Amino acid sequence: MKLLFRYLRRYGIWALLASGFMVAEVFVDLLQPRMMATIVNEGVLGLSSGGVPDMELVIRTGIWMLVVVMGGALFGILSAVFTNITGHGCGNEIRKQCFRRIMHFSFEQTDDFTVGSLITRVTNDVTQFQQMIMQLIRGLVRCLMFFVGGTAALLSLDLSFGVILSVAFPVILIDIIFVVWRTNPLFTMLQKCLDRLNGIIQEDVAGIRVVKAFAQEKTEKARFEKANRELVDTQFNVQMMLSFLRPVMNIVLNLAVVGILYVGSIQVREGDIAPGTVMAAITYISQVLNGMMMLAMIFQTLSRGLASAGRLQEVLDTPSEIRQEEIGSKEDGSHGSVTFEHVSFAYADNGVDVLHDISLSIHPGETVALIGSTGCGKSTLVHLIPRFYDVTAGRVLVDGKDVRAYDPVLLREKVTICLQKSELFSGTIRENLITKEGSRNEQEMIRAAAAAQADEFIRQQPEGYDTPVAMRGMSLSGGQRQRVAIARALLKGGEILILDDSTSALDLRTEAALYQALKKDYAHLTRIVIAQRVASVRTADRIVVLEEGRIVAQGSHEELLACSPVYQDICRSQQGEGEKL
Amino acid sequence: MEKPKEGRQSAARLFAYFRPEMRYVLLLAGAVTLAVVAGVTAPRLQSQVIDDLVRGSFEEIPGYLGIMLLTYLVYGVMTLLQGFFSARLSQRVVFRLRKELFDKVVSLPVSTIDGHSHGDLMSRMTNDAENVSSVISSSLSSMFSGILTLLGTVTMMLVLSVPMSLLTLVTVFLSVALTRGMTRLMRKAYVRRQTLLGAINGIVEEKVTASRTVTAYNLQEETIALFEKTSDDLRRTGIFADILGNIMGPLMNTINNLSFVIVAAFGALLTLRGQMTVGVISAFIVYSKQFSRPVNELAQMYGQIQTALAGAERIFELLDDESEDQSGNEAFEVTRGVIEFEHVNFSYVPGKPVIQDFNLRVEAGRKIALVGSTGSGKTTIVNLLMRFYPVDSGRITVDGVDIREIACSRLRDAVGIVLQDTVLFTDTVRHNLKYADPSISDEDMMEAAKLSYCDKVVEGLAKEYDTILSGAGSGLSQGQRQLLTIGRAFLSYPRILVLDEATSSVDTRTEQHIQNAMVQLMKERTSLIIAHRLSTIRDADLIVVMDHGHICETGNHEQLLARKGDYYQLYMTQFEGNAT
Repeated sequence: MKLLFRYLRRYGIWALLASGFMVAEVFVDLLQPRMMATIVNEGVLGLSSGGVPDMELVIRTGIWMLVVVMGGALFGILSAVFTNITGHGCGNEIRKQCFRRIMHFSFEQTDDFTVGSLITRVTNDVTQFQQMIMQLIRGLVRCLMFFVGGTAALLSLDLSFGVILSVAFPVILIDIIFVVWRTNPLFTMLQKCLDRLNGIIQEDVAGIRVVKAFAQEKTEKARFEKANRELVDTQFNVQMMLSFLRPVMNIVLNLAVVGILYVGSIQVREGDIAPGTVMAAITYISQVLNGMMMLAMIFQTLSRGLASAGRLQEVLDTPSEIRQEEIGSKEDGSHGSVTFEHVSFAYADNGVDVLHDISLSIHPGETVALIGSTGCGKSTLVHLIPRFYDVTAGRVLVDGKDVRAYDPVLLREKVTICLQKSELFSGTIRENLITKEGSRNEQEMIRAAAAAQADEFIRQQPEGYDTPVAMRGMSLSGGQRQRVAIARALLKGGEILILDDSTSALDLRTEAALYQALKKDYAHLTRIVIAQRVASVRTADRIVVLEEGRIVAQGSHEELLACSPVYQDICRSQQGEGEKL
Repeated sequence: MEKPKEGRQSAARLFAYFRPEMRYVLLLAGAVTLAVVAGVTAPRLQSQVIDDLVRGSFEEIPGYLGIMLLTYLVYGVMTLLQGFFSARLSQRVVFRLRKELFDKVVSLPVSTIDGHSHGDLMSRMTNDAENVSSVISSSLSSMFSGILTLLGTVTMMLVLSVPMSLLTLVTVFLSVALTRGMTRLMRKAYVRRQTLLGAINGIVEEKVTASRTVTAYNLQEETIALFEKTSDDLRRTGIFADILGNIMGPLMNTINNLSFVIVAAFGALLTLRGQMTVGVISAFIVYSKQFSRPVNELAQMYGQIQTALAGAERIFELLDDESEDQSGNEAFEVTRGVIEFEHVNFSYVPGKPVIQDFNLRVEAGRKIALVGSTGSGKTTIVNLLMRFYPVDSGRITVDGVDIREIACSRLRDAVGIVLQDTVLFTDTVRHNLKYADPSISDEDMMEAAKLSYCDKVVEGLAKEYDTILSGAGSGLSQGQRQLLTIGRAFLSYPRILVLDEATSSVDTRTEQHIQNAMVQLMKERTSLIIAHRLSTIRDADLIVVMDHGHICETGNHEQLLARKGDYYQLYMTQFEGNAT
């Protein structure tokens, strides 16, 4: 609701104009049955002139009616224009604001919301919200006008018609409330059923080899059939509930018409009203009841829109956690040093420490390799440097300054990380490499690609550097994707380069060539490398062995081989006969 | 608008889906007919009453009102039934259509699925099926009743007054022409809006999914700018398209009112001349509305039906794809696990051979490793062994029997496989581990989890074996996911175990432990291992070095090292060649 008012205030004038024109349009609609009554009563039946029909009056009123109708159309169009300006304007603003906010979320916040839910919020929920605004401006005004205006017009024709209205009204109200009350939870369920069904399809298409390899086609068919059955049943229930709405409405409406005719016949017999008036009354009562029917639809949009507004509000109310903090910490003038001081870290969702009291200092230009078993905290440790997450205890210093004291943008200019999952964007290879337009020239790009061992295969692509990378890089192989990502990292520059297991898909020769090129062309960078293979790390200045979130040994390959049992074990696992080295 | 290629055939085929539901079709037809008859008769009665009012013959009115009441009740009940039957009917048809489609996809050969983009398959199964279903459920009865109402209304109008009918028809056709013109304009605007909406969704999906990269490269502002530009474009197009859409209402309103004025004015004129009664005017007011509604609905439906038929065509195309040939001896039991490739040739694309004259015999209980650079055909060997793809020439035998003569289910039951892609299903860890056979006991499951080293992973999860894994991975690292898939394969107790880069993200020590476990588990069973990490394969009984679909060297680790060939080269880069 808060959201609604904030945006409606900014677009208040447009919204008012839209509502105003809507009122005018409905007013015209309400005027017409009255004019029709005049045509029938005065023109055709000539009631006031003693039964002599007045053709001239029919024509004149008819022309007036046409003018009024044209005016109505104009008002309607103007109302549509202003409503859309308001609705789409609000939708656009909130969409942009939400996206901006999401882009500045910390990773924990993104993980909490889940990517899927964020996508739905920015797309689907914004659309729902937008529709709700437009419905409120147009639909609600229209309904209320029809309802109030129609009732007033009907009663002004003859008060006795009010009896029929007062009977029909509660019946329809109960019907609407009943249907809305029953269908709303069904809609949520319907969406869930649909999600489940699509989820199964997605999984099984992507995992068809596993399904077939385990010969589980029957199981999957049964699983799908169950989801399909649930979806169809829910859909049926929704349709049934909705189909209750219209026929009941129709019955009430038609009974009301019969009632009007009955009451009207008594009145006409007593000479209180003319037959034309009865006809006008029939039109009015259907307008009133139709207005109520529309109200039912509006309630549905409204309840869905409010739910969406709530979800959007949640996004907007989440403050960005990663912010520059005012702590007295200054750079020491070095370029590329990283220091961990008694760092502990736990992910917020389970509170279990992943890193325990890590102290490590890395000098500018040094190459440090991290090695350790799956889940030992290597990735987590390096993610603390560009401040993807904040430490639970201790501090992380870059060039002597606490990372929390940096402007995050400046920090990430210094620190370049190449992630385990090489996420490339749609666009050409060139666009992926040169992330900021105009910041790097062709030569620099080729130099980085060559060092990443990517230049050769990029040139072999149909359009070289201008070859489009398909959605999330699916047209390149895993190894090629990794090399493009490394080239991108090299091109970005900075002082500290982190390779987070980003060469796992490269064959040994390529990987060796890559490390050699790094050593030659990018020697000034502080390099922090996570890898599984001893061969990838043995040339590092220092190797740090992690075990269950603790540093258990560090030193050169030879030193560790001499004194670290864990490292010896790792080497043995990769070679079988460690002493052979 | 999308046009179906063979509209008539597709429509006929779609209609065939209604054949088994004849009962509901007939019931629906009955309800619709009665509803239309009642709906068409009622205004006639109303006009009688008005006439009586004008004439002052009040005695007949209660009688007429009674009949009217009855007619309206019939109308109401029938529309209710109509809603019920059409919902039932459409849901039954859609259920079958969707089921057939899914069953088909699951039974398609892997080669066909690889040939389609996953997005395309998904879109056929969801969007197209949804489109067809919504058109079936929404348009079916309205089309039916629309046509009947049209016929009924025209008849009634003609009976009442021929000149008035002609006049009404003029306005109706005016509104139809307007609707068609407007929808054409609108369609263009909607297509543009849809494209932009797709672009927005694409940006959000890509950038939010890759938010780590966006942040790591300080690309937030650029990304936001791109998003805002598209968002602003969408706003402009959206306003334009929706204004067009919203204008329809007032314009139709105008035409309706125009027809009202025409009916009133000419009705009055005709009444003045004594050719008609006032009651007929009131009936015509109702009829002209009743007439224009189905006409407009049908005009609008035309586009939807075309789109749905185009969707149906894509669905049928998929249904017409040939299913996988799973035939073979259903009773065959793989007992030893001897695999033999004899002169096997294979290519994915004709003219580009991937496997050439491949010969290899794997004795039961041996551990074989395939090594070679990317593109040397290692994974293809697995595809052929599993009958995911058929060989072009030559043959593959298991226990001496050509695999084409073994039923797929028997063959695949005997082969446990762990693939490069760690596919896990959205379900509990327990279900995922027991995927091969849910009746496996929990003790066996935990034992396998221990052997595959995923027990530690599971213990770290909130609800252990009852934790629901989400498709995206629910916080599991790639290595941890690999451990789970290995556990799953262990639990299927295969005669032949195939690991295709199954431990690439697992650290080498854990891998070593798993391998030790495998030695126990795979005693007297055959294992085939593909890896580029030499530590993974060093202990194999036989190492096969592949290059461009050929075998270039075979032997065990020591023999191959001694030969100083390709394997030696690979080995050296890993352990010494990197020393610079």
